[in-house]
Amino acid sequence: MELKINGLSKYYGSKQVLSDIHINVSNLQVLSLIGASGSGKSTLLRLIAGLEPYETGEIIVNGTGINQGDLSDYRKNVGFVFQDHNLFAHLSVLDNILLILDKVHHLNDSETRARVISLLKQFGLEEHMHKLPHQISGGQSQRASIVRALAIEPEIILLDEPTSSLDPVLTYEVLTAIKKLAENARDFIIVTHEIGFAKHIADYVIFMEDGKIIEHGSNAILDSPQTAQLKHFLDKVLSFTA
Amino acid sequence: MKGQIMKKSISFALALIAYLFFFYYVMVLAVDKVSDYSIYAVYWRVIFRGWLTTIMLSGLSLLLSLLVGLVLYLMVESKISFFYFLAEIHKTIIFGTPLLVVAIVAYYYIGDAFHIDSKFWVGVLTLALYIGAYISDIYKGAIEGIHENQWQTAKMFGLTKYQTYRYVIFPQVLKSILPPLAGQFALTIKGSALLSYMATDEFLNTVKTVQSISFRYPEGFIIIAIGYWLLTVPLVVVVRIFEKRVNYKEQTWNLK
Repeated sequence: MELKINGLSKYYGSKQVLSDIHINVSNLQVLSLIGASGSGKSTLLRLIAGLEPYETGEIIVNGTGINQGDLSDYRKNVGFVFQDHNLFAHLSVLDNILLILDKVHHLNDSETRARVISLLKQFGLEEHMHKLPHQISGGQSQRASIVRALAIEPEIILLDEPTSSLDPVLTYEVLTAIKKLAENARDFIIVTHEIGFAKHIADYVIFMEDGKIIEHGSNAILDSPQTAQLKHFLDKVLSFTA
Repeated sequence: MKGQIMKKSISFALALIAYLFFFYYVMVLAVDKVSDYSIYAVYWRVIFRGWLTTIMLSGLSLLLSLLVGLVLYLMVESKISFFYFLAEIHKTIIFGTPLLVVAIVAYYYIGDAFHIDSKFWVGVLTLALYIGAYISDIYKGAIEGIHENQWQTAKMFGLTKYQTYRYVIFPQVLKSILPPLAGQFALTIKGSALLSYMATDEFLNTVKTVQSISFRYPEGFIIIAIGYWLLTVPLVVVVRIFEKRVNYKEQTWNLK
């Protein structure tokens, strides 16, 4: 992926949540955004997704400028995995995916169906694909939502704290699924609290605090942070790990 | 399991018998002569037609009120505040006025002013406008009850506004409005009785007419009660069943 952000600022009312963000990276597969809650990382991800307007600056993803106005065409090429799986509550796992492919991407042939079923198999959801979201576990739901993002064959997949509402066992299950995404050669940006996972999977890490980028670089910055803030953050996050 | 159902059935039968006994006792004490339904048998066609009219009246009113409710809901949600206030004032007046008063005003004044002579249609319109105010709140509750993330996901994955309503919101709303709608239908049927005050030939009015020529009042009231129960009791039972299902679903909704 190629991501360029220049002088980006974002306000909610009078509260500034992002201030003067600059990012310029290319030839990346996995980018990880880390930071404490309220640091602005999820907001940044939502802006990259074209879900919310912003006040100043510019965002360019793979050469496409995400300007103000109608971004619906842009969003069709972006896969998004929400913090809570956000599956449509009244549809089975399979139908959740087929609905989007049919209505948005006009793919409703048997090949598409077979492709989706094989993806679901790949992510271990074969026996659950006809169940409703409330009939499966949180980990299974989140994996289904990863398949949904993958099935539209997007240019980029964005994951917003995909494991933060799961217990450790389910977290492991979902992280394994995300790893599979990487193996599928998909470009993605992940907002996560799982520092160990970020270190393991990310090509590039961006650390944020109070709406600003404090430190960024290859995942080596997680082993040898240069700024006091990142060092302090990592000390806290990793304080009880063996 | 089987034993439990048996036990429940016996308890139900006993409770029912207790009520029947109580009503029978009251009737014997209140009416010191033998019941005689022969006059009602003579007029059964008229009464039956009245009963059918009540069903028609309630059914049409409810159908129309679904539309009225939708229009009111859209007006309340509208960005044009004139529409918002039109709807809010309508709802406030309806919520604050007995249906009987609304029926009288609608028939004797509004119907008259607009030259609507058909008692039936004035009745249908009155009930629809009245029930519609409540229905708009049912819609509001159901739509607001749908989690924000369903809208957000639809937007993110590129569904248009129409597609979002058609494939995501509406199917979920439909499920959650069925129980309150069934309840509202029972209320509509009961409310239609008040239209007898504007001399609509519905069920209550036809029985009352027979009562007044025969002076067989208690028998008439029993027929009235049974006539309404035939319509409302199944609805109440349906509502109970719906509610049980919805509750079950909500309990498991956010299980992680």
